[in-house]
Amino acid sequence: MTVNQNELLSALVDGELQGQELDRALKFLESNEQARVQFQQYQFSSDVLHGSAHENNRVDLIDRISSALDDEPTYQIDQAPKQKAQVIAFPKQFWKQAAGLAMAASIGALAVVGVISQPQNQLVPPMVAAVDVEAPVQTMSIAAKGNRWTVEEAEVADRLNTYLVDHNEYAGASGVFSYARVVSYDAGQ
Amino acid sequence: MRVDQELVERVQAGDKKAFDLLVMKYQQRIVHVITGFVHDPVEAMDVAQEAFIKAYRALPNFRGDSAFYTWLYRIAINTSKNYLTAAARRPPTMDVDASDATIYYDAPELKEFETPESSLMSDELEQTIHHAIQGLPEDTATAIKLREFEGMSYEEIAQAMDCPIGTVRSRIFRAREAIDKQVNEIMNQGE
Repeated sequence: MTVNQNELLSALVDGELQGQELDRALKFLESNEQARVQFQQYQFSSDVLHGSAHENNRVDLIDRISSALDDEPTYQIDQAPKQKAQVIAFPKQFWKQAAGLAMAASIGALAVVGVISQPQNQLVPPMVAAVDVEAPVQTMSIAAKGNRWTVEEAEVADRLNTYLVDHNEYAGASGVFSYARVVSYDAGQ
Repeated sequence: MRVDQELVERVQAGDKKAFDLLVMKYQQRIVHVITGFVHDPVEAMDVAQEAFIKAYRALPNFRGDSAFYTWLYRIAINTSKNYLTAAARRPPTMDVDASDATIYYDAPELKEFETPESSLMSDELEQTIHHAIQGLPEDTATAIKLREFEGMSYEEIAQAMDCPIGTVRSRIFRAREAIDKQVNEIMNQGE
């Protein structure tokens, strides 16, 4: 037996093998009597250290039990559901990255919504207040149609439209605000 | 333990030989536990065999809710008690909780059934192993101590010792080789 093979057996005693290495160790144990002896010696030392060595003799029940199990059925329990679970079991790193991405996207969306809504509230109030208060007095009918205002009085409509065009020219220069349409005027104009 | 669960799944999937490894791993501990109930060594071996066969038969129902050894331990205790009842002998009054299985190594209830000779031998073996560990290079000794006495995984040891897992594995292996050499000398003297 090579050093590597014995190292494999030592790791097997500690339950630290899986996958291909476990396959190798099992095949090795199955085919090599000396490997079985060596594995049991390592296991025995470990058991002695834990105070669970029987009468301090090495117990070997393998042959007895193996013979007794000859007549027992071989199981064929489908492990498919567990394999499926393994396929979708992403590594921890994936979930960390996904969570970070989701948080960044949420914060970004909040920021965009916040910035869009904020300027309207900040810029408009004094003007809007004037419209709200004095509109009933003027009983002026105003409706937005695309980029044009329709007002009953042609002169007022003309001035409003000029104002709107001027506003669009200035507002279009700044990123997010190009999408914000803030239009107002004094009722008296 | 991951290896135990993988071995159980292999047996459940039709690999009967995988059960041999579970027997190899736990036979010593199971016989030790059974000896606490069934004092005759030959009878204890028979009961251990029966316990492993019962475990094999019940394996399709094992879902891994508890560790394999805890489950096996419970079967061993019940088999021992049934054996004593069937033999018209009163089972010992001591009761063992299956949840203690993993820490139930050095129970005084089991120690009291040791003969003076076996007790002496046991002490000598333990001293030999401790002596062997003391003679190891510091890194190797630390690795095997963390593994055997603290029950740490290779990954935990690697973190504690600030070295790769492969290094931990080879250090523990070298420690086992040294211990094994000393233990073999003692065992051969006794034969």
